[in-house]
Amino acid sequence: MATETKATTKVKSRTLFQETWRRLIKNRGAIVGMVFLILLIAVAVLSPVLFDYETDIIGQNMAEALQPPNAAHWFGTDEYGRDLFARVLYGARYSLIIGVGAVMLGLIVGTILGSAAGFKGGITDSIIMRGIDIFYSIPNIMTAVVIVSLLGTSTVNLMIALAFSCASSFARIVRASVMTIRDQEYVESSYAMGLPTWKIIVKHILPNCLSPIIVQITLLIGTTIISASSLSFLGIGVPAPAPEWGALLSAGRGHIRDASYMCVIPGLAIMFTVLALNLLGDGLRDALDPKLKK
Amino acid sequence: MNEDLVLQIKDLVVHYETEDADVHAVNGIDIEIAKKRTLGLVGETGAGKTTTALSILNLVPNPPGVIKQGEIWLDGENVLEMKPHELEHMRGNDVAMIFQDPMTALNPVMTVGDQIGESIMLHQGLDKKAAFEKAKEMLKMVGIAESRAYDYPHQFSGGMKQRVVIAIALACNPKLLIADEPTTALDVTIQAQVLELMKQLIREKEMSMLLITHDLGVVAEVCEDVAVVYAGRIVEKGTADDVFNHMRHPYTEGLFDSLPNLKQRGEELVPIQGLMPDPSDLPPGCAFAPRCPYATEACTKAVPALQSVEGSATHFVACTAYADPDFKLRRNRDGK
Repeated sequence: MATETKATTKVKSRTLFQETWRRLIKNRGAIVGMVFLILLIAVAVLSPVLFDYETDIIGQNMAEALQPPNAAHWFGTDEYGRDLFARVLYGARYSLIIGVGAVMLGLIVGTILGSAAGFKGGITDSIIMRGIDIFYSIPNIMTAVVIVSLLGTSTVNLMIALAFSCASSFARIVRASVMTIRDQEYVESSYAMGLPTWKIIVKHILPNCLSPIIVQITLLIGTTIISASSLSFLGIGVPAPAPEWGALLSAGRGHIRDASYMCVIPGLAIMFTVLALNLLGDGLRDALDPKLKK
Repeated sequence: MNEDLVLQIKDLVVHYETEDADVHAVNGIDIEIAKKRTLGLVGETGAGKTTTALSILNLVPNPPGVIKQGEIWLDGENVLEMKPHELEHMRGNDVAMIFQDPMTALNPVMTVGDQIGESIMLHQGLDKKAAFEKAKEMLKMVGIAESRAYDYPHQFSGGMKQRVVIAIALACNPKLLIADEPTTALDVTIQAQVLELMKQLIREKEMSMLLITHDLGVVAEVCEDVAVVYAGRIVEKGTADDVFNHMRHPYTEGLFDSLPNLKQRGEELVPIQGLMPDPSDLPPGCAFAPRCPYATEACTKAVPALQSVEGSATHFVACTAYADPDFKLRRNRDGK
């Protein structure tokens, strides 16, 4: 016995987080996505310092209207002479806040519903999941339109509207994971240990469902950013003159023949952000569950 | 109830009621475990051993499991009448359970130190840090270096995981330890080590143990008392000496006949004929009768009651054949 314990003290201890990180940084796509997102977050955080909202972002300067990209205005200017570069960078704030906010809100609600359904099973499960199925069968955008028109257009209301669809996909994922973890022997043994049920769910079941949830978070933020932009494009998202990317696209729509950069640049911003999130999400999925990888 | 008994189960009946069938898992089991004694519950897979164990903690999965009748007295309290918070207090504190498969009995995303500490925090009211220190002591007690408290279950071998599981179970000094086939998933050398460890710890901590197993060798090594279960009923019980050396029930004899004999290696094994009856469709009378070489018509008429063996205060058997005072098992015929 003594030799056994001695030999084992040398075992290198790695937490699951370190293990995942080690595998994640081997994935080139994930690295690219991550670097892009870090830059984007930095820009979003710093943009109020770099630009003054009143003068640089919404201040109009008709003399410089509709200039194509040049040395002074890297992304050109819009029809009111506002610098598109500043507006696109500033717009990252809206997209990220709405994307992350809606997903987090959906995560909380979805996790509660999903774990209740998965853990309780039976009639509770049927009621919750059938409700979510009904919700799922209505197109996301339509639900969002209804909610926004009920609550009024604002950034927070947009977030709430988008959180609904996030909640239903989280609920499904959490329910499925909880159902498989629920019957594991360590859950039974926590009962035998005298742990109260809520503690078992929070400490033993949910942490074991974390991998699919993390992956879903990154992928859903991307989808939500697109939905938010679509709603702004339709004019029911973030109200003008805030430089939300979808709103920028919408503003450029009228000038797509003469000043196509007004559409192309915000479009690319959305595309790269979502692409980066998806790359990171794919990388995370492989890193968290190496068995899935071909 | 008797003061010296840690556990007394009276006439426990547990059914699993599914849509297809009503499975009679446990059909009137009586068990007593005295202080500092170890009882081995022996029987085939599906005989109702684990269900009995789960009933003690009132953890029979419901639905479909229903405890139909019976009383389970644990240190003067009836488990089946406990309120939820009393149950939570009892579980882990008064009674702890070791599960069969150490590979799945530990949470993969928690360090073993945290997992041992969890039950200490819950039942002894220590803060996280103190509980972790205590967890390290427990690890040392089961022969694992304290520094490994920070490691995750996947970094341990099967035998070491079972040691961790034992450490969790013993962390709060329970009065009764239920071990559900604790060594089935381990290889033979590790089995011996783990059993030795359990024996030693139980002696040190003056606990009682209910050991569930289908391995008669394990019983011989660890248990003072033995109860043989067949189809949810106890067919024979007594001290290890009673059951191993003076067995009375044909089923017990069948179990021993089907073990290889080290002294006569060439000898053929004698299996028990047939299969265990389907617990959702038990035969009338003695459930063992259809497989029993001694069975008579009387066996199918009534379920035999557990009766004391003549001249013994500890040995009980449930067999109709003993109505005939001259009846003896084949094993007992010559020499005794």
